[in-house]
Amino acid sequence: MAPLKSLEKEYPLIDSNFLSFCASHAILSVEDFLLHDLDTLIAFADNHSTSHRLKQGIDQLLSIIDALNPPLLNGLQLLEDAQRNKHVVSTGCEGIDTLLGGGLREGQLTELVGPSSSGKTQACLLSASTVAKHKSSVMYLDTGNSFSPQRIACFVGQSSGHVFDNQADHMLKKVLDRIICYSVFDIYQMFDVLHQLKINLRSEIVRSNQHVRLLIVDSISSLITPILGGSGPQGHALMISAGFLLKKLAHEHNIAVMVTNHVVSGEDGISKPALGESWKSVPHVRLFLSRDCGTNVYNISILKHPSMVCHLITKLLHRASGRAASYSMYS
Amino acid sequence: MKSKEREEMEKWIEGDESGREMLMRVRSVRPFLLPSPLDRVPLRVGNVLELVGPSPSAKTHILIHAAITSILPKHLGGFDRFVLFLDLDCRFDITRFSQLLIHRLTHHDPTLYNLCMARFLYARCSDTFEFLRTLKTLHCRLEKEKEVQGVSAHLLMIDSIGAFHWMDRASMFLSQRDNNRKKLFLQSVSEAVVQNIKKLLQVHPMLIIATKSVIFGNRYSTASNEVKGNVEERCTRNTQNFQYREYMPSVWQSFVTHRILVRSSDDHPVTCNYQHSSFYLLEWLLPRLSIVDKIVVNEVRT
Repeated sequence: MAPLKSLEKEYPLIDSNFLSFCASHAILSVEDFLLHDLDTLIAFADNHSTSHRLKQGIDQLLSIIDALNPPLLNGLQLLEDAQRNKHVVSTGCEGIDTLLGGGLREGQLTELVGPSSSGKTQACLLSASTVAKHKSSVMYLDTGNSFSPQRIACFVGQSSGHVFDNQADHMLKKVLDRIICYSVFDIYQMFDVLHQLKINLRSEIVRSNQHVRLLIVDSISSLITPILGGSGPQGHALMISAGFLLKKLAHEHNIAVMVTNHVVSGEDGISKPALGESWKSVPHVRLFLSRDCGTNVYNISILKHPSMVCHLITKLLHRASGRAASYSMYS
Repeated sequence: MKSKEREEMEKWIEGDESGREMLMRVRSVRPFLLPSPLDRVPLRVGNVLELVGPSPSAKTHILIHAAITSILPKHLGGFDRFVLFLDLDCRFDITRFSQLLIHRLTHHDPTLYNLCMARFLYARCSDTFEFLRTLKTLHCRLEKEKEVQGVSAHLLMIDSIGAFHWMDRASMFLSQRDNNRKKLFLQSVSEAVVQNIKKLLQVHPMLIIATKSVIFGNRYSTASNEVKGNVEERCTRNTQNFQYREYMPSVWQSFVTHRILVRSSDDHPVTCNYQHSSFYLLEWLLPRLSIVDKIVVNEVRT
């Protein structure tokens, strides 16, 4: 929002007299006005010689503010939006899809928590390739150089059955074209990318081309943990605003957002997510991934879900072709 | 002459309002009982109830149930009013709400369902100024809704009040007024929020229920062992007195009239029947009651 002065041209009621009246109450911007007590302001305006016009100015400001607000929606409208625009996006991984009742949901932020080599990045890559195969775009923010086109090729090859012929090559090229990967090494870069995405989506550059259905940040915790700590609140503030930005993108443009969060050991030796208590209220869905020692059996449990009961649901997920096997196919 | 006296007499006997009208009037300010688990203490319009708890602890779930009770018609045990839900966490799930509503409607009735859904009003805010903007203009919007719906709101829900805490604490926004008084941005925001709500309550008497998530972990929190997922281990840990650190400015704290602490329960019977249930403990902090309620959230099967 803007300083009041910038409204002067557009709205004749907000004239120099009104501006100086506001300035005498230290109201220079719309934000100042929001923080100010309206009744006291009106009471002061009453004592003024031009009280009528001043009060009109205040009403004008209020209606400007009102116009900025999105309208109040009722349950039916909300549900209609949810049913029409917020689809389920398959992750390509049967275990996760059944657990989540179909997959990730557009408009929601899903978080994968787990120790290293628990399959977080694999789940990201698999989801990306699955969505791209269904002719939608994927934004992939890679913070640790872990994005692997070979792995994508493997996922695409596996599902199409034939790995090495031309048709598969052609398909793979298309799939990889639809995955837009950014290497992001600090949180400010992430903000840059996300803001650019927001602008693009608003101006429909991307949408006219292809619908972005999935946004992945692998891993968001490695961007945020360096800025936490210290005594100031700045790190936490950046973390929370990153969460709000992601949720806003997800909601307004119907994107499923998936982020990963690694695990660190806590005080009592029990591991806990790197992004802790304050972050917990950010994501819609939290999934916990782990792998049984020395096997290819992955466990997934729901830590939090808006419409499912959490905690004790744990399902085993067997991957027929484990990581090692798949890699050997290509080396 | 006589007839005039008679008329006066009759008018006097007739009274100002019928018993029914009086009952309606008195009822609107009298305490009313929300569904369990909020039924331990009678709440009335003008009260501010705060639900504190770590995430997840079924806070939003409790809100949804209270909201549904408000929008349901009287013959189904509801209050026949509309509800305003301000979503500051930006992760409200309407499909969940719809499922629970269908669950509460005893039989399939599309008209009733639509009526109830239309009585649930929702706004999402993703920063402090959006929140203030919404509060400042809520009065006019509620008036409009009152005309359309024919009933008034009596519940305002805020989920969750501390959502912008970190952003506000770090905010570099300094208005000149506050600069002079050396007041923190966080404080002036809370003051403005409380003031706006108070003003709103004068014209639209409502009960306020706000959730507040615990954003500071401490050694008593269940944060660390939650990830373990190890049931045996959880059972051995007894439920100690859970403590949380207050972070809302004092102006909000003194605005709150009732406070409930919710937390997930670690000790519960591990049997097959409870596979699809979550357990939470609910404790009244303000007024302090010694009873700890246990609530079970079951999966809705549709």
